[in-house]
Amino acid sequence: METPGIFWGVISWMIVWAVLGSIITRRSYLKRDLDTSNATFVGAMMGAAAGPVGLVPLWMRTPELTKLLIVLPAIGAVTLIAAAFAFADPSNNCVSNGSFVASQITNGIIIGIIYGFMALGLTLIFSILGVVSFAHGEFYMVGGMLVYYITVVWFPGVSPLIGVLGSCSIAFLVGAVFERMFLTPMYKGKIDRPVEYGILVTFGLAFTIQYFVQALAGANPVKARRFFDFPRLRLPSADDAWLLKTSRGNLTLFDTISISNPRFVAAVVCILVLLSLLYFLHRTWTGKALRAVSLDREAAAIAGINPDRMNMLAFALGGMIAALAGSLLVQAFSWLPQVGNIPAMRSFVIVVLGGLGSLPGAFFGGIIVGLVEAAGTGCIPNPQKAASYIPAYGMVVLTLTLLLRPTGLFGRRFASGTHGKF
Amino acid sequence: MKKTGLLLAAAVLGLSALSTGANAADCEIKIGGIAPLSAPGTVVGGEAMRDAMLIAEEDINRAGGILKCDLKVVIADSEGLPEKAVAIMEKLITQDGVVAVGGGYHSSVGVASKDVADSRGIPVVFAETWNDTITGDKQKYIFRIAPLSSWASSTIWKHALELPVKKVAILTENTDYGIPAAEETTKGLNSGNIEVVTFSVDIGTQDYAGIVERIKAGNPDMIIVLATGEAGYNFTQQAADAGIGPQDIIFHAGQVSLESKAYWENVPDGNYAFVQRIGVPENLFNDKAKAFAKVYKERTGKDAVESYAMEAYDSIAILAQAINEAGSTDGDKIVAALENIDHDGTLGRIYFPYGTKKDPSADSKGDEWWHQWPDPALTVIQYQEEGQSSVNSPIVFPDAYKTGDPVIVKK
Repeated sequence: METPGIFWGVISWMIVWAVLGSIITRRSYLKRDLDTSNATFVGAMMGAAAGPVGLVPLWMRTPELTKLLIVLPAIGAVTLIAAAFAFADPSNNCVSNGSFVASQITNGIIIGIIYGFMALGLTLIFSILGVVSFAHGEFYMVGGMLVYYITVVWFPGVSPLIGVLGSCSIAFLVGAVFERMFLTPMYKGKIDRPVEYGILVTFGLAFTIQYFVQALAGANPVKARRFFDFPRLRLPSADDAWLLKTSRGNLTLFDTISISNPRFVAAVVCILVLLSLLYFLHRTWTGKALRAVSLDREAAAIAGINPDRMNMLAFALGGMIAALAGSLLVQAFSWLPQVGNIPAMRSFVIVVLGGLGSLPGAFFGGIIVGLVEAAGTGCIPNPQKAASYIPAYGMVVLTLTLLLRPTGLFGRRFASGTHGKF
Repeated sequence: MKKTGLLLAAAVLGLSALSTGANAADCEIKIGGIAPLSAPGTVVGGEAMRDAMLIAEEDINRAGGILKCDLKVVIADSEGLPEKAVAIMEKLITQDGVVAVGGGYHSSVGVASKDVADSRGIPVVFAETWNDTITGDKQKYIFRIAPLSSWASSTIWKHALELPVKKVAILTENTDYGIPAAEETTKGLNSGNIEVVTFSVDIGTQDYAGIVERIKAGNPDMIIVLATGEAGYNFTQQAADAGIGPQDIIFHAGQVSLESKAYWENVPDGNYAFVQRIGVPENLFNDKAKAFAKVYKERTGKDAVESYAMEAYDSIAILAQAINEAGSTDGDKIVAALENIDHDGTLGRIYFPYGTKKDPSADSKGDEWWHQWPDPALTVIQYQEEGQSSVNSPIVFPDAYKTGDPVIVKK
């Protein structure tokens, strides 16, 4: 960074006004007996983005905190940080190299979609069962491992589609059987401390799966081949392929953005499955029943829905989603029995960031974490530190979000009866 | 009745005849064998070392054992983690009752566990831990047959100086191996006016897309990977996907790439990668190395012997010889024997010229040469055909061992 004084000066200014804004704005709204659920967040963002110019009218008029008033100051704060960074370090790739920025954003969104997709399974389980599944990373690992074994070891040459379908089916089955055997007792009043039991029993499942796979498959890294090669394309013409150029393992858009084949395939499949899942949840009876159970278990039962069956379906679906993410990424990453540890941790961060139990929150939380990781890796001037802090970027965003909005970005105000007291 | 008695006597005689091959069953001497057998450690390396140390155990017992007792190698999984290393060293010494320890792959494991062994007076011969401070702390009970990190790094940068390279990107891991190795490599490359940018990552990082893009934007002529375990595979393949892999620019892959089968499975686009190798090429193997290689290949189904497997084998064999020469399992006596040892190992003649008898400073050497074997051969090979075994790949550096010319890919 050429002139760090500019950057840190602006950041200090933003922090001071954000802290003041968050405290005083909440008090102003509380004093007038108004809804304070977004006051801390809006106050902090307004303070960071506009300082006293934005805060004084907010404190005086205390307007209704609409979505626009929530989103605009946040965008303003991010823009101000970016501008300060650009002034302080004009030669940084993130400032001076447009194609680099485009590539980082694309990579961030693509990996974010995959992160979000995996977190979706976790939040689905939490919203229906109220259990945080600590075995989520193991379902992810098993998904990839099964695709490797089906397509490389057991039936070499078989279509990867069969591998993915087989892997998802097995994960679904394991999830369903586990839920019926170990989690159903929680809802039958057979367990004294169901919350602790849920944590411990899923931890147990995680260890069992991980060490079972290690005993069977060993701990050497394995990897599935690319599911398919890109056809050779040159658009608009072979001589001047400025729009799209593909090789077997890569595609290049606008001569600048490069996306590897495995990531592209994984992201596209995740989007398709996400759309199917949304259709299933919003347009089918079973999906609506699942949502009904997540809103009010007893009311759903009165309406003729079997909550136990929905629990089983939710856990199996959640596990299958994680397994699908693993199935798609085993062609991109080397696979080990411990491969699920970091993605599971990241999923917890995303789920809390997006708001526990919120499906859109999980998805957008994933994209935010993906983008923040890409920005941190690409923009931090010291390359040695930029890559070292990858696991920390998501945690920083999570901490800030929880400070300003304890329910997470899309968290329900009255979820679990504890959020949004005011 | 008489017949039964005769049969019993014959059976007893037969059993005692059969048992003459074994050593006294009621005395067993235990030596610890440390290896990473779970992630985030380098499991491919750890399994190779474990297999080699168990072969050493068999060979030593077949040759009469230690002090006429059976040798038992107690394998301990370090997971490549320093905190785990401390715990297993404590366990090996206090619960398993080992009299010495061999093996060790990750430098961080060596750095963390050596103090435990030294404070308890248990001699250790580290097999594959490179960090200079492991011997540089001049601890009485700590020995090493792996090359020094500074020395191993010099092979890489000296090789790079021979190549058409002006800018290098290094990917290293945040460990006691990776950080000093990157610093030493940078220093060497800078001495040849080569610009260096270093990226360090946590061990176990999977997704390198952001780093790969950043390296690509920097437009280097060469990439050097100093990351162990599957991190090396992940980065190399992701770089290849992005068009800066071994087939696109000069690429020195991590040492784990010597595991040819795992390498080609995990890095299918990894042809033309350079890889550092310790030990002489197979055509220069001594008799002991040839005998070990034969058993090792049969046992593991591999077509090559990795250098760390040979180091692990030698670390156990040298301790066995030292105990025999000391005539005791007392730590101080074993150290005295090790300081005077002349071991005919698979890697060659192993000895420790510096220690309590002669300080490294007497020959103007740094402290890191304390209890350090000075002669491991360091070479650089290059994969030149897809699916090629690392053993059949030509050695391209240094000239003393060269068996082929390097293929320099064009950017």
